[in-house]
Amino acid sequence: MNLLLQIAALLFLVTGTAVSFIGVIGFLRMPDVYTRLHATGKVSVFGLVFLLLAADILTPLATWKALLLIFFVLLAAPSISHSIASAAYRIGVPVNGKRDDLAPKVHQSARKPRNHA
Amino acid sequence: MRFLQISFPLFLVYLALTGNLTLPNLVMGALISSGITLLLPPIALPPFSFSRLPTFLWAGLRYVFVVAWDVIKGTYSTAKIVLDPKLPIQPGIIAIPSGTKTELGTALSAHAITLSPGEMVIAIDEDGVMYTHCLNVEDSARFVAEAQSLRKNLLSKMFE
Amino acid sequence: MQQILTITIWIVLAAHLLMAFAAVWQTLRGENAVTRLAGLDLTSTLTIAVLVVISIIRQSSIFIDVAIAAAALGYLSTVALAKYISDQKVF
Repeated sequence: MNLLLQIAALLFLVTGTAVSFIGVIGFLRMPDVYTRLHATGKVSVFGLVFLLLAADILTPLATWKALLLIFFVLLAAPSISHSIASAAYRIGVPVNGKRDDLAPKVHQSARKPRNHA
Repeated sequence: MRFLQISFPLFLVYLALTGNLTLPNLVMGALISSGITLLLPPIALPPFSFSRLPTFLWAGLRYVFVVAWDVIKGTYSTAKIVLDPKLPIQPGIIAIPSGTKTELGTALSAHAITLSPGEMVIAIDEDGVMYTHCLNVEDSARFVAEAQSLRKNLLSKMFE
Repeated sequence: MQQILTITIWIVLAAHLLMAFAAVWQTLRGENAVTRLAGLDLTSTLTIAVLVVISIIRQSSIFIDVAIAAAALGYLSTVALAKYISDQKVF
């Protein structure tokens, strides 16, 4: 039983590092801020979740704390990436894509452009 | 009932953080969670009844598994895109009507969409239409509507 | 088995530190404010991951408390900065 738990922790550690690595590679390679957010805001959070599952098994007394942190992180991650993406759209970072269903809604409500860094 | 609906989760969070179940700690947690609940402004919560609790729990469990499956699929496809040398992305923004009646349902489906990598809600208008940024517009536009109808059924079982 | 686990944990710690440095580097050369904000968020997530790995190495759950505080602070500061960038005011 102990050996099985240790093997499960090893798998969680390796999977978490691989998933975080994919997130960072995506952050380095993607062209603009919206596509970068797909990699950073979510994929790296799942890497953190796998590491917390490993800590759940390996660290004594950490079970409920780690589960609480998993719950908090999964609740907070979408609102972080939504707020960054919404700020990017609000200050006018262009969407390099074929379709933009949001653009007509924004233009008819007379948005005034702001200068930004 | 409304008081307990807010203070009992706070009590559980306190117990998870401190991690001992002795009587002084339980009393301390009850005092702190009721104090926080008294300080909060009134929050609009869905009505609670014990007869609907099994339906709520069963639909909630199925909802969690549906979202987890979406997340696994999204992570796999995003990993394939990121590790591809040519970086095959076609970004764009599509409009997805949420179809839920309550604001909580709209917020939860926006949470589920944003949690799965590959789609990200940028704005929600007054009618509950979610403007979603996608890594691959055509793929997402094909399967996101049926995923949203599945989520909508479960959410309406939970909250209506 | 214990030895394999120990070696893996140290490799995981080194990998997360390297990834955090890559995230900081990309943050510094980001093209606009929002990209740098996304980089800061990624850096804070990797910092929390490093704290979790340290808690596994030291076998003490106190570092998970630190990680919870860091997660809460990172969430609030990222949302406040995003609101400041988009509205030019915080409240």
